[in-house]
Amino acid sequence: MKKGMKWVWLVVVLAALVGLFLIPGGAKETLNVAGEFDLQPILKLPSIGPVDLSVNKAVVYLWLATAVIIVIAIIIARNLKPEPGRFQAAMEGMYSLARDGIARSVMRSGVNAWFPYIGAVFFFVLINNLIGLIPLPFGEHHQFSFYTATANLYVTVTLALFTFVFTHYAGISKYGLRRYVGGWMPSGAPPVLREFIFVIHAVSEFFRLVSLSVRLFANMVAGHAILAVFFAMALIFQSYLIAVALQGASVLIYLFEIFVAVIQAFIFAILSAVYIGGALDSQH
Amino acid sequence: MNPHAYAELGAGLAMGLGAVGPGIGLGILIGKALESIARQPEVAGDIRTNMFIGIGVTEAVALYAFVVALILVFVAK
Repeated sequence: MKKGMKWVWLVVVLAALVGLFLIPGGAKETLNVAGEFDLQPILKLPSIGPVDLSVNKAVVYLWLATAVIIVIAIIIARNLKPEPGRFQAAMEGMYSLARDGIARSVMRSGVNAWFPYIGAVFFFVLINNLIGLIPLPFGEHHQFSFYTATANLYVTVTLALFTFVFTHYAGISKYGLRRYVGGWMPSGAPPVLREFIFVIHAVSEFFRLVSLSVRLFANMVAGHAILAVFFAMALIFQSYLIAVALQGASVLIYLFEIFVAVIQAFIFAILSAVYIGGALDSQH
Repeated sequence: MNPHAYAELGAGLAMGLGAVGPGIGLGILIGKALESIARQPEVAGDIRTNMFIGIGVTEAVALYAFVVALILVFVAK
């Protein structure tokens, strides 16, 4: 490019910025950030006792994630080649991340028995988080909007309950109920302190359930709320200049949210592996 | 001030003050992890895995503050 061309571009960009500053913004619209997380039933179904069977946004997103995982798994399984193409190499990378990076790196025993669960929970949370970053027409009046099923406490509590139940199932099936629960008491400690430590351990087992579910939930809600606030700020300020700057910032936040989605799936899976591995190796 | 204003003020304070501790903790944690990776690059994978576990546990504290703030704003009206 000649040197004169650069000046022309600079002038054009400056003129565009000044123009944006002078043109007033469009009509003021409001975006209710909290409303993005409301769950209106899409398909009304009768409820059985206290259980409402209506299909809402979160259910649709869970179905979507399941469908995506099933389709990817079938495509990959049908087209396995000795020399992987791009898609297969990417999926093999993810698989080896789940197996070597998560299950094998923190579990000393029982990798083969528990990798299916840990891998499944990793991919399920990952796909759910990533689908939440694609605008889909499930908003109010079928507008495009962001939502993830993992930004719903019920979904994350269910996932955390799986880990909670499997942790104790793994420990009890390996050592028996008496030895497994007895292993929470250090045998060398004096009598009263021993029971005290037992109670603390029991409470901490319960709080693992809380922290595992709330971490994923709060990360996803916070990420989507930040995205929604950045989009809404362009509507509040009503200036095309600020809107341009905010869109740039939104892109950065969006990239950060992709990172958070992957990291949260990784952390959920690796903490599940740590808990299950800890239950398997609790007695020595 | 009406009671709802106090709830919103409390939500802001909860989130802001609740982010201080985990922020310091994450800084120390990641700093130390990078230090040990620089010292022993051959165990970088192990350190990174454990660093992520630590990040998950540390950051949960800030997220409890976030949940408390959400409850104050939307539930405790």
